[in-house]
Amino acid sequence: MLEVTGLKKVYEGKQRTVEAVRDLTFTLDKGELACLVGPSGCGKTTLLKIVSGLLEPTSGQVLLQGKHVQGPPPGMSVVFQEYGRSLFPWMSVRDNVELPLKQKKVPAARRRQLVDDSLSAVGLGDASAAYPWQLSGGMQQRVAIARAVAYEPQVLLMDEPFAAVDAQTRADLEDLIRDLWHQLHVTTLFVTHDIDEAVYLGQRVLILSESPTVIRRDILIDLPDRRDQLHTRSSPRFAELRAQVYAQIHRPREEHLAGRPTP
Amino acid sequence: MTPVLRRVGFALGLPAVLLTVWWVLSADSTDFYFPPLPRILETLVREWFGPRLTDDVLPSLLRLAAGFSVAAVSAVTLGILIGTHRGLRDFLEPVLELTRAIPPPVLVPIFILVFGIDDTMKVIVIAFGCVWPILLNTAEGVRALDGVLGDTARTYGITGAARLRHLVLPGASPQIFAGLRQALSLAIILMVISELFAATNGLGFAIVQAQRSFAIPEMWAGMLVLGLIGFLLSLVFSAIENRCLAWYHGLRRAQRQS
Repeated sequence: MLEVTGLKKVYEGKQRTVEAVRDLTFTLDKGELACLVGPSGCGKTTLLKIVSGLLEPTSGQVLLQGKHVQGPPPGMSVVFQEYGRSLFPWMSVRDNVELPLKQKKVPAARRRQLVDDSLSAVGLGDASAAYPWQLSGGMQQRVAIARAVAYEPQVLLMDEPFAAVDAQTRADLEDLIRDLWHQLHVTTLFVTHDIDEAVYLGQRVLILSESPTVIRRDILIDLPDRRDQLHTRSSPRFAELRAQVYAQIHRPREEHLAGRPTP
Repeated sequence: MTPVLRRVGFALGLPAVLLTVWWVLSADSTDFYFPPLPRILETLVREWFGPRLTDDVLPSLLRLAAGFSVAAVSAVTLGILIGTHRGLRDFLEPVLELTRAIPPPVLVPIFILVFGIDDTMKVIVIAFGCVWPILLNTAEGVRALDGVLGDTARTYGITGAARLRHLVLPGASPQIFAGLRQALSLAIILMVISELFAATNGLGFAIVQAQRSFAIPEMWAGMLVLGLIGFLLSLVFSAIENRCLAWYHGLRRAQRQS
């Protein structure tokens, strides 16, 4: 479904040149839920912007269902970290969710159904007439998720969507993502800095190195398909996987710069 | 006291006080240039609520509306272009800054030479002066649109006319309205100024004519009418603005409370 090959991004400044991303190559199959995790400043957001077509890479390519991504492709939804700034404040919740569908020229009846379904799926069925600034942070992010999901995308990209909400809301939203993914089987790439979150959510965890970024490792998460905050997170396998990811991320810097092959 | 009554009381309170003071101080006035307020008010009702309303006030207001509309449409359009394209702004900026610095009253004689002394000239004077606050505010409003909103719009394929309608115009509307409000005050001033030099009807014309023929109560009455019109226009504008920017006021209130 999504093929990323040899992505490289170099920022040319007046004083210095910054190689944000060196070489990223990975593939997402249809219906997969993969998490991308890495240390701060490792270019996670840059990567997501390139994959979503908002930014052009210096070299490398992104293929969505075999088609080259040059500029935001139809069939991709993005949920941004700054939920407050990604919703249009002059429109109601319903209008916000409906706008991309109108743009996609979906007929009115189907639009209404998609909007209603996605809003109730995120638990905001009765908030459709409210304005985004009347809602709490967690609810605003739910609206953004509902909008992304109502769009019926081929690939759903999420850029650290829960970084700016409190821990309990984050736990609820994580479960919401898993539920939605089970219902809709949409291919999802979830970027986060939170190791626990990545292991809890993903079928796979792609671990990024520090800048200049490459993929250090691709770990398969063999936790059960039905997960919950209490039991999954206290299972021994979760702890093992978490430790693996943590170790990879915090490997000494010299090893990485020396270009030692990843085990 | 109900909230509405209180608001009306606040709005009318100070004017009522000032008028009363004026009335009391001028009641026995024999000064030619400062007649008693009762006389001015009597002149106002007699003169300005009669044929003058259609002969002078209406043409002035129509010219005001025309000049303001022309300025609004052209300035918002140009402002959006300038705000969106950095290169265009750099290209136009020196000329705009120069032209903007010229006070419109100074240009009236030139406009008379070029456009004559009929309604067109007056509308152009008003439009020319009003363009600047609207243009600059619009450009700034468009330039300062949130990047995340822009990315969101691009992601969902909201481009071109849809982007203009759903993102640019609503997003810049607080700034645009700020510019429009400044332009409204300016428009009233320019409306009067454009009628001072070469006119055959209009509110400014009537006031100046009264002044030149030493019809002092009529002159004062005319000035009161002008003030009243300014006040009413401002009320109408506020009503429209509150309707269009209800979301913005709500947003700011929510931000202040958090």
